[in-house]
Amino acid sequence: MSPTPHAKHDIKDVLGLVAETDRPVPTPADDLARAQGAARARTQRRFRAGLAGLAVVSVLGVGAATVLDDADQQTTQVSPGGVELVAQQFDAAPYTFDLTPRGWSVQGQRPQAVTIAPDDGSTSDEPDDFVGKLVIMFDANPPSGDAVELDGRTFWVSDSGDGYTTMATRTRGDEPAGVVRIQYPRDAGWDEDSMLAFLASVHVGDSARLGVG
Amino acid sequence: MPRNSHSDRDSEFVAFTRDHRRDLLRTATLLCAGDEAFAEDLVQTTLTRLYLAWGRVRRADSPLAYARRSLTHVFIDETRRAHRRRETTVADPAGELVAEPVVPGADPDVRAVVLAALNSLGPRQRAVVVLRHWHDLDVADTATVLGCSPGTVKSQNARALAHLRTVLGAADHLLLEVSP
Repeated sequence: MSPTPHAKHDIKDVLGLVAETDRPVPTPADDLARAQGAARARTQRRFRAGLAGLAVVSVLGVGAATVLDDADQQTTQVSPGGVELVAQQFDAAPYTFDLTPRGWSVQGQRPQAVTIAPDDGSTSDEPDDFVGKLVIMFDANPPSGDAVELDGRTFWVSDSGDGYTTMATRTRGDEPAGVVRIQYPRDAGWDEDSMLAFLASVHVGDSARLGVG
Repeated sequence: MPRNSHSDRDSEFVAFTRDHRRDLLRTATLLCAGDEAFAEDLVQTTLTRLYLAWGRVRRADSPLAYARRSLTHVFIDETRRAHRRRETTVADPAGELVAEPVVPGADPDVRAVVLAALNSLGPRQRAVVVLRHWHDLDVADTATVLGCSPGTVKSQNARALAHLRTVLGAADHLLLEVSP
């Protein structure tokens, strides 16, 4: 296409004039090797974080509230980082969960939020300190992030950029109107599939209250 | 929920890359206003992120659309980083860009002028133009990708198009025909 002076052009054609490049394209194998290297580096970071957690346990011991672990539960999902979700319902009123994360315990429950901490003692005992923990929140803020469809519901996934991922979904029609979201640390052994399944298993009770923030 | 093995992920990733890498590079080239090294960085970063969250790619209605969104997010993130102090304007845009590689079929003068015009837009305005007019996303979808309101998309788009009309018209090469 060779435009003549003063000819009218559609903007898409104009963008097409400059979008093409003659730069050599790397092979898919190059991209795969690079991505696999990043995946290995992430796994090593998680492994090191796990060892650090164990070291803290040996010194401080563990004091958790409601233990969610149970030997006769059916494991439904194991994330690559090793965290298991089992098909066992538990209550953290006013919230109910159809899946239970093995080795994690409810540390704090309020009408606006639930805090779930690992049993390895790697996090603080303060329920309002969310570092290293799962936090389930209920609020009226609009969800944002990448939209993911799962079992007829839309979930929004966003990386906060500080080592945490937040997922959000609107409550079901028979639940109080709002958005339920979960924030989790990416280095604690969870993966997105597991966390989406866990968030999808949350039921919001009538006494839940919208948080502010 | 069925789980696929790592080898499944690898083979799917390779197939996806083979089919869509060039598309992503074209988008990145527009977002970067012709900075080919920056565009290649964006594509590599995007592909790596996609691999690390391949479950999300699988679940997406359109993996390519998902990848394009991710690419746009990587671009916005990168332009926010302080260490990337890339100029958004140059004193003599056409002169600066005349050394751009020549692509067969494209008039090098026109290419330089168009790239200079894109380069003179802010990163988010450029993203709006690319999403709206290259990928044909509507206002609502563009707003979702960029995490802003539809009104912001409309105003950014209108300003960007007005600017492009002015710059391209002044260059005496192109009269842009656009619908806001």
